[in-house]
Amino acid sequence: MRTLAGVLVLGLLVAGCGDMATRSPGSSDEGIFPFETRHVTLENGFNAYLIRAGAPGVIAYTSMVRTGARDEVEEGRTGYAHFFEHMMFRGTEKYPDYDEVTSGIGAARNAFTSLDMTVYYLVAASEYLEQIMDLESDRFQNLAYSEADFRTEAGAILGEYQQGAMTPGAVLDRNLRLTAYDTHTYRHSTIGFEEDVRNMPEGYEYSLSFFDRFYRPENVVLVIAGDFEFDEAESLIQEYYGDWEAGYVPPEIRYDEEQTEPREVHIDYPGRTLPVISVNYKGPAWSPTDRMAVATEVLGAVAFGSNSDIYRELVIQEGRVQYLGAGFGLQRDPALLTIQTMANSEGDIEPLQERIQATVDRFQTELVDAETLANTKSNMKYGFLMGLETAQNVAFSLVPFIINTGGIEAVDQYYETLDAVTAEDVREAARTYLTEARRVTAVMTQEAN
Amino acid sequence: MKHTSIGLGILLVALMTGFTLAPPSEYDEARGIITLPETESPFIAFNIWVKVGSQNDPAGKEGLASVTAAMISDGSTTEDSYEAILEKLYPMAAGYGYKVDKEMTTFTGRIHRDNLEDYYTLFSHALLRPAFTQEDFDRIKSQRMNYLERGRRYGRDEELTKELLYSMAYAGTPYEHPEEGYVESVASITLDDVKAFYRNTYLRNNVVVGVGGGYPGGFPDRVREDFDALPEGEVPMVAAPRPPMPQGVKVLLVEKAIDATPISMGFPTDLLRSDDDYWAMLTFNSWMGEHRNSFSNLYQVIRETRGMNYGDYSYIEAFPLGYTTQQPPVNVARRSHLFEMWIRPISNTTPTNLHERVLFATRAAFRELHQVVENGLSADEVERTKNFLDNYTVNWGNTIGRRLAYAVDDAFYGMSDPGYLAEIRPGIRAVTPGDVNEAIDEHLQDDQLYIVMITRDADGMKSLLLSDAPTNISYAGPQPDEVLAEDREIASFPIPVNAADITIIDISEVYQGG
Repeated sequence: MRTLAGVLVLGLLVAGCGDMATRSPGSSDEGIFPFETRHVTLENGFNAYLIRAGAPGVIAYTSMVRTGARDEVEEGRTGYAHFFEHMMFRGTEKYPDYDEVTSGIGAARNAFTSLDMTVYYLVAASEYLEQIMDLESDRFQNLAYSEADFRTEAGAILGEYQQGAMTPGAVLDRNLRLTAYDTHTYRHSTIGFEEDVRNMPEGYEYSLSFFDRFYRPENVVLVIAGDFEFDEAESLIQEYYGDWEAGYVPPEIRYDEEQTEPREVHIDYPGRTLPVISVNYKGPAWSPTDRMAVATEVLGAVAFGSNSDIYRELVIQEGRVQYLGAGFGLQRDPALLTIQTMANSEGDIEPLQERIQATVDRFQTELVDAETLANTKSNMKYGFLMGLETAQNVAFSLVPFIINTGGIEAVDQYYETLDAVTAEDVREAARTYLTEARRVTAVMTQEAN
Repeated sequence: MKHTSIGLGILLVALMTGFTLAPPSEYDEARGIITLPETESPFIAFNIWVKVGSQNDPAGKEGLASVTAAMISDGSTTEDSYEAILEKLYPMAAGYGYKVDKEMTTFTGRIHRDNLEDYYTLFSHALLRPAFTQEDFDRIKSQRMNYLERGRRYGRDEELTKELLYSMAYAGTPYEHPEEGYVESVASITLDDVKAFYRNTYLRNNVVVGVGGGYPGGFPDRVREDFDALPEGEVPMVAAPRPPMPQGVKVLLVEKAIDATPISMGFPTDLLRSDDDYWAMLTFNSWMGEHRNSFSNLYQVIRETRGMNYGDYSYIEAFPLGYTTQQPPVNVARRSHLFEMWIRPISNTTPTNLHERVLFATRAAFRELHQVVENGLSADEVERTKNFLDNYTVNWGNTIGRRLAYAVDDAFYGMSDPGYLAEIRPGIRAVTPGDVNEAIDEHLQDDQLYIVMITRDADGMKSLLLSDAPTNISYAGPQPDEVLAEDREIASFPIPVNAADITIIDISEVYQGG
């Protein structure tokens, strides 16, 4: 067993550009995040985290926007967070050809959007830090694209929609969301409804308002991980982001009424598939400090993960299903906890639903044993640490914490909460969330020829 | 078994200091061992290279190499049942996996230094003491059959077009069949087939062990000694494929009720990364269609300017599963490759214009190929691409697992000293515009081509391909005059194909049998 003799200290420094906190290795603290970091806050509400990690000579420059499909509250505008991610590569007055700049410095760059976030990143040689900051801060403040470019890019979105639109997983996901949610924006997937995607060429004016409301300093967090000088980076942040005008307008999300009775949907898949059974429950929102929330994630692993009794029985010993998986990762707003399996025959659909219910019943009554709980905590911690190999991985490891809370302080909080989770907490999570009233079941079978 | 301790200190030191002082990999060919020490790293990576691939599948048993590897990676050992293995791996948040390509099989894993001994025991037993139980076989075969009968046909069409392109180009060679096999061939595989394949190909001299990262002193020797327990023997050499060039343009249309059509096109080349003009071709290809990069030519013409789809790329080496990654794949080393263009799904924009748009995009790519074959690249284009690659390629070896995998590929291609990753920068820097254009002359042409599409109403697509009618497209917004003028040229750009060279099959027939 190896442990760190002395770990991290939280220091607080003050500089002209705002508040910044530095913590460095070599002192005493018990945090799980093993890197020297500095937190920079600007007066306009912009936050940046500087992290020394990864191989020499490389930086990962990651801008995390706390806006995703969740923020698409207007009727007919689903998919715009993702669409907007595309438009962010269409240039500014200062840098009309974004690609020319990034290709000129050989940066690997891209972005992704999901329900709660839009994340932009570049991985490049450290020597280009200022050039990248100039480029990135410019497009976040001064993006400029024509309606013609906007309409052209809408075609690319349609192409992206079509890439996997008719796979069994996509068909199931679309139908499940429509069944599970009434008003909340999780009702649609990140790519949006097909009808809205096809109408995107007409949404130029709306896209401008999207930028105006959400691409503001209070809603964007910058993480620079890699090999660079903190002092220099901090000065550059002040120089390039200091004049960014605040003005974030939070979306008016319409939360669903609490579900009071189970819901079910049957889906006919227009192709070939074995039956898919998806049993879902309305879960809690993600939280680094709420033991029930963290215990819910533990519950998913111990009850339905690859080391669970039901997995061993159905997948390995009996071969009754093609796979069994649990998706208990939480979102910013309450979302679905998912147990999904693929039956080898339609005749086994009901027995498998009963088998899943029996597992739910068991975890509502029995306590998980101490070794399984300890192993699960170990799995979750090593899962985090095993992902910290490159500067980009380190930056990405922080995404859920920053998107959900706005900062990286939640990393240590989350793992402290995880340490504190008891077997009773796990049982209570099952009793609280895996109830009949919260259940949404989707069964998908092959459409009759 | 350690359950909860996390070696933060080691991780911290390693990631703070980086790896630049690490010596390059070493390949001891006589012993069959590749080492890539990075002493400060908290991770240890394994890459066990078995010199056997789908090319070694017996006729009628296509898919056997892959099923065998799956039985090793996802099955029991004589020491532990599969469920016991999963239970032991669980607290380490670790696993291991396999990849079977045409010529090679690799088993890879990565572990935190804290858990090396426990992990290595499981990993080595998987390869050296597989139990090959009937229960594991039934499970894995069931999963494989489901993939072949349903998952492959109703998954990503854009990946399926790529696979079908390779089957067309390598028809009649050991590269023809997909690594996972056919429906009928896998259905015929028995557990005895798996045992025999393992017994005959997982041999001491046919296995190279690769170890990288922060392993303790002497550890790679210990691994090699363990693998020396495999029996002696030789695997008959499979002759490298010599695929003929297509006579004209050959088209495969797969009928499927979808609203978007992916396109793959290409032809064989004799280029290998160990060739002198490889770096010139790498430069050309980056300009033409660097994977997932928007600055390159095909992307600019089809997506950026016209918004027809999500992306358009080209390749000089096999690039399976391109939709899952931005980096080049590793451990798909082959003695023959295609030049390939991948046009991601072109969607209809009205209920009736799918085929016009698909053919327009196909013509656009074909025309770009024609132009580069005719004109080559300018000095400025070469210089800009070299500048891009000089930094961009640094990302290709960003993890210990990838660096080790590249070292295995280096051993395959006979270029271990100093190795691909070390050669990229000097190789590209030395390239001249003349080199690039000579390489284009040597390796590219535009009148012999395979094309694969998956589309609805394949007969209608065939008719359109055979007609001389221009395939005009419209836009959701205004376009500059120069784009519209180019559109008129693209819309009528000839793809010379004969009716006899267009084959249509239904999606339900894809990879049914050999």
